[in-house]
Amino acid sequence: MRTGRRLIQDYWGILLILVAWQAWVIVNQFNPIVMPTPISVFDALITDPVLFLENTGITFAVALVGMTGGMIIGTSLAVATWLSPLLSGLVSPLAVLFSSVPVVALIPIIARLLGYNVSTEIAIVVIITFFPSFVFASSGLRALPPGSDDLFRVLGASRRATLFRLALPAAMPNLAIALRLAAAHAILAAMIAEFLMGTSGLGYLFAKTNDEFQTEQAFGTSIVATAISVAAFLLASFVERRVRSHFS
Amino acid sequence: MTGEAQFDPDGPAITATDVTKKFTLKGSGDGVLALQELSLAVATGEFVALLGPSGCGKSTLLRLMASLDRPTTGNVTVCGEPPDAIAARHAFGVAFQDHALLPWLTVYENIALPFKLAGRTPDDVAIREMIVLVGLDEFVSARPRQLSGGMRQRVSIARALILDPEVLLLDEPFGALDAVTRRQMNIELQRIWLRDQITTVLVTHSVDEAIFLADRVLVLSGRPGRIILEAIVPFDRPRDRSVMRSEEFHSLADELSLALEPSED
Ligand SMILES: Nc1ncnc2c1ncn2[C@@H]1O[C@H](COP(=O)(O)OP(=O)(O)OP(=O)(O)O)[C@@H](O)[C@H]1O
Ligand SMILES: [Mg+2]
Repeated sequence: MRTGRRLIQDYWGILLILVAWQAWVIVNQFNPIVMPTPISVFDALITDPVLFLENTGITFAVALVGMTGGMIIGTSLAVATWLSPLLSGLVSPLAVLFSSVPVVALIPIIARLLGYNVSTEIAIVVIITFFPSFVFASSGLRALPPGSDDLFRVLGASRRATLFRLALPAAMPNLAIALRLAAAHAILAAMIAEFLMGTSGLGYLFAKTNDEFQTEQAFGTSIVATAISVAAFLLASFVERRVRSHFS
Repeated sequence: MTGEAQFDPDGPAITATDVTKKFTLKGSGDGVLALQELSLAVATGEFVALLGPSGCGKSTLLRLMASLDRPTTGNVTVCGEPPDAIAARHAFGVAFQDHALLPWLTVYENIALPFKLAGRTPDDVAIREMIVLVGLDEFVSARPRQLSGGMRQRVSIARALILDPEVLLLDEPFGALDAVTRRQMNIELQRIWLRDQITTVLVTHSVDEAIFLADRVLVLSGRPGRIILEAIVPFDRPRDRSVMRSEEFHSLADELSLALEPSED
């Protein structure tokens, strides 16, 4: 009872929207193809849960693999610019350039290179997520505790030791911010890629059900996608808080 | 006389010869002259304290010795070598104004850091002994942010001493401490120092601290820093609080304080 009251207290805004939505559709007597009621959407979700679960799993996996790859690439590039100012002159403008090209324009090119399959979708997520990691890691590697770089120099630390014992740990809070941003974008990026390529996953399911006028399923897909985006964001925020308190 | 000359262990451990340091500031044409034609020598095993008004170049001088900066003109050697060579063989111990502890490491790990940076296995016994010596045995696994300012400075001192350095450079290591803790730390530092008699240069604003700890006190003028007074401290070691109450201590302190006051000309 108490938890029920808490839930209503914390999320009554969402409840209000659902109720208003239901009322609005009924009052206007919309055709379900134009606008389904939340109850029928919920119905669609529980009629074929396997379909949704399967595609959610695929989208989640694409987002996770792509995001991991993106963060590793972004961080590695940042480390490269940290190691060599000369490389920095090459990497930084290229990274900006690459991240400025609209993803939609990149998809056909990448698809031709990698094929119309999951690898292209992963590549899209990598491209979307590497840039924030690159930017945040680059500044994090240089945000050192006051006096610590002098200390490492006087103690005769090698370049390698300075990287692993000072610069990278100091960059961890920034990398955690990059993780939170990437987590929010990764699901969306995966879905866009799936939507445009029409292979599998929530993006594909949305495109397909929408084309076939299964509006309830299409709405259900959007709601599931929103839910996992929010979940990913909350999870990443939690990780960020933990990392921050450990490294600063 | 070239750099090839063999280092004489009875000769000076640190020399500065006609050292001038000028900082160029963006926007101002002349720049700041921090040190001018300063010369000094610190003997091996000697404890020298540097006093001087704020901004006179004390930290600058220490940074030159620590290989963190180069003189504009003149020359600095440590153990007969350029300071970089000493840093490269991990033979400096330093504690600077900002304690520079790594927030993601515990007290123990911070004190073990110099071992890691020297590519050596941390000596657990020595580290634990050092932690007891600076009175932090209850805080072995605490993080820097869980410590008071004074405790952080003690960690930084412990870290400076852990590798038995050949040269110890201390820049106001007790600046953040209250008078009582400061005196305690002075007595502790003396005790640790007596163990190995490491060549030490201490920058401080406290005349009492300088006299209590040092074999020799140098007073620098206002910027650009030059040495305007040199005082040999006559007290035997180990020194205790009673030294501070002696007549001799007071007259020496008066002499140094007078030299520190801005001249009226
Ligand atoms: N990196 C720098 N760039 C420009 N000017 C500098 C730099 N470092 C020091 N200075 C200048 O050199 C002068 C001496 O500074 P320094 O830090 O050596 O003084 P200090 O004697 O240690 O003073 P305090 O007792 O306040 O610590 C100051 O005028 C300062 O502005
Ligand atoms: Mg200073």
